[in-house]
Amino acid sequence: MTFRQFAFNNVLRNKRLYIAYFFSSMFTVMVFFTFAIFAFHPAFSDGAINQNVLFGMAVAGGIIYVFSFFFVLYSMSSFLQSRKKEFGLLMMFGASNRQIRMMVFLENILIGFFATIGGILIGLVFAKGILLVAENVLIISESLDFYFPLLAIAVTFISFIVLFFCISVFVSFILRTKKLIDLIKGDKKSKGEPKASVILSILATILIIAGYGTALYVKGMQVVFAMVPVIVVVTLGTYLIFTQLSVYIIRRLKSNKSFFWMKTNMLLLSDLSFRMKDNARTFFMVAIISTVAFTAIGALYGFQSYLTKGIKESEPYTYQYIPWLNDSEEVMKEDVSKINSILQEENVEAKMEAMELNYFETSTSEELIVRASDYNRFVAFTKDRELHPGENEAIVVQPVEDALSGVSRSGEFLMESSFNLENGTEIQPSYIVESSVLASNGYYVVNDKTYEQLGSPVRNDWSVVWKAKEGQTDQQLIEAGRKLTEQVEHKAYSVDYQLFEINKAFGPILFIGLFIGIVFFVSAGSFLYFRLFTDLDEEKRKFRSIAKIGLTQSELNKVVNQQIAILFFSPIVVALIHGSVALTALSHMFNYDLTIESAFVLGSFALIQIIYFLIVRFFYVKQVKRMVF
Amino acid sequence: MLKLTKVSKVYEGKVAFRALTDIDLEIEKGEFVTIMGPSGSGKTTLLNIISTNDAPTTGKVEIEGENPHKLKKNDLAKFRRNELGFIFQDFNLMHTLTVEENIVLPLTLDGARVKEMKEKAHTIAESLGILSIMNNRTYEISGGQAQRVAIARAMIHDPKLLLADEPTGNLDSKASKDVMKMLVSINEKEKTSLLMVTHDPQAASYSDRVVFIRDGKLHSEIHRGESRQAFFQKIIDMLSLMGGDGNDFSSIRV
Repeated sequence: MTFRQFAFNNVLRNKRLYIAYFFSSMFTVMVFFTFAIFAFHPAFSDGAINQNVLFGMAVAGGIIYVFSFFFVLYSMSSFLQSRKKEFGLLMMFGASNRQIRMMVFLENILIGFFATIGGILIGLVFAKGILLVAENVLIISESLDFYFPLLAIAVTFISFIVLFFCISVFVSFILRTKKLIDLIKGDKKSKGEPKASVILSILATILIIAGYGTALYVKGMQVVFAMVPVIVVVTLGTYLIFTQLSVYIIRRLKSNKSFFWMKTNMLLLSDLSFRMKDNARTFFMVAIISTVAFTAIGALYGFQSYLTKGIKESEPYTYQYIPWLNDSEEVMKEDVSKINSILQEENVEAKMEAMELNYFETSTSEELIVRASDYNRFVAFTKDRELHPGENEAIVVQPVEDALSGVSRSGEFLMESSFNLENGTEIQPSYIVESSVLASNGYYVVNDKTYEQLGSPVRNDWSVVWKAKEGQTDQQLIEAGRKLTEQVEHKAYSVDYQLFEINKAFGPILFIGLFIGIVFFVSAGSFLYFRLFTDLDEEKRKFRSIAKIGLTQSELNKVVNQQIAILFFSPIVVALIHGSVALTALSHMFNYDLTIESAFVLGSFALIQIIYFLIVRFFYVKQVKRMVF
Repeated sequence: MLKLTKVSKVYEGKVAFRALTDIDLEIEKGEFVTIMGPSGSGKTTLLNIISTNDAPTTGKVEIEGENPHKLKKNDLAKFRRNELGFIFQDFNLMHTLTVEENIVLPLTLDGARVKEMKEKAHTIAESLGILSIMNNRTYEISGGQAQRVAIARAMIHDPKLLLADEPTGNLDSKASKDVMKMLVSINEKEKTSLLMVTHDPQAASYSDRVVFIRDGKLHSEIHRGESRQAFFQKIIDMLSLMGGDGNDFSSIRV
């Protein structure tokens, strides 16, 4: 038996030990490969998709690759942790440090090679599925047919062989061998509870509260400036929560004898504190990764819903026509009749309203003043309320504020100025309302009678709007919109067509975002799985020895359940809270209610986690029971 | 208090293996019995059956007139916890717990009151001389101490029957002697019945009666007379008669 044979046989004949590490490596390869299949699809390379999206995909690929590196590194080191005793034994027989490093290196190369091949093969099986999903999420005209992804295979294979090689070198170098006795007693000795300091625990709470407070307090564009400091503060706070506060709480619980010595609490808590150093790190990592996943997906989903629903709300009319400033009345009439004929061509039934917009001189500048009856004619198309200003009263109407369109509050400015009637009466505006009736920066609405006394306008403009009747398909509206946009360029707008265009541009971003989010979330799940199964043998031995002195099945179930539940839910609950705060801040930024979207995204993640918990618990309990009873 | 009638154990497999054949054994209340025999004679199988960790293929086990093998799994766990005490060769202590916590574990699982547990642990630790290490972790104590902790854990709920599987197997002769003396004093003071499986004639000589088994069958038994020294010699003789060489067991050791 040469040393190489020894290293290889060590892996091949000890599959069970290596299988978890192998699977997680394979999973990583698979994720990268599926993404590569998508990214290298021939439909993209012929220039049908714009350059920015391709760049975005390259960046996403990079992120997945870097993430894979850390993920494999983490799996690797947790795997090596569980083999301390084995290394101790080898060293006792006289294996040199160099030989052990060599062994780890060879093992890794072997596992990495097969994981890469396995990941690519499994990825191929799922290739059609991912392309179908992509096709539906992305609104692209070409269909993404299945193809044999030679390029993707080559890229994945080379990238991961390089990655595994680097990690093997890296790991075999950081495998610092401590005293032999530490290795041999490795599994018995606690790595020590992290020290819990009261001050740091309080600091953790303060940091989190401060972070949350700031995130919830800021509005509009402030959110952007507050974002980085809040993220830093909350991340730090999260770290302290898991390394300090949780330890502090467990210590308090442990020192409370009547709680700690009650039934199975002793088994549960002593175990938690025993592993707290490892657990705290895992918890922190899982919490942060999940937060990123939740927030990214929530934000993208919310953003899309904001773009679509928000535009639909701020654009109450199906079609809108606004002529150029110096267009003559003839040009305008021509345009309007052209629009009407296009609508007829496409069988779109729509009601039309037109309004002459007159600008008058005010105390500060020229402003649009609208007759109440005109305003109310338009209001009939929207969900806004009618306005009935009294005689000699003016109401300021300003557009609904949001961060995206960058409209500042023009209402205040209008409130400060005033205008005169012909008879010299000065009219001060009485109050501001927000509405999206006219696509204008802000204007006054006055009583019809008052309007007659305004004198001659400085300049005038027109606005013509159409509202499609209910029950027409989006396709019709979009097609008509497309023609309008093309033929009456820059003057006619169609909401539905605009949305279609947005969805088309947004699709790839959403897809990539979802993809990365899900990758993060799933890896967070496998971190937990690792944490759990690294200690499985230890747990089995523990439960078996307790069972010998008498432990009922229900007690075993209870302890194991609580243990897994804490492991699975404490980081996720933290992540869910982080995520909901982040999404609330986001909704403040856009001034758009994201409650439903956030609840949907966070709820589905919570649900997935619960299902994952149930599955893992089932297998874990089965494993432990088989060993114990 | 413990009665075995015609207990047999067959391990199923490609080749069925008969580990125990028609064992009849009775232990009185307060008696200290040792089971001895060469490797593979079925000692540990027998102990596993008595300790309810394993079920006999045929035959009956009665502990104070009750057959524990008829109990449901959960009741069986409770039975073990309340009626039996265990001492293992490898101590079987939880290394995530301190010594004191290890001792009170059976009571804790039963939901006893903290004050009561503390008192009991204190009393028993004092009598076993491990008070000074109560707050240590299990990897910080020596083997002899660990076995004493295990004894304390086994005794804390005053079991009817104490089962010991090679309790001195991992200990040096000094620690073995201490542990055996403690078992004897527990046996005498608390009137706890004691059943021990061992290879060590030295340890066996502390008991009232030694039962020898060989190839899964009862071979013979000898009772202790007045002198432990003479009893020890008889055990050695019996062991050499059963197959080993007399020289294997040096009588000079005592």
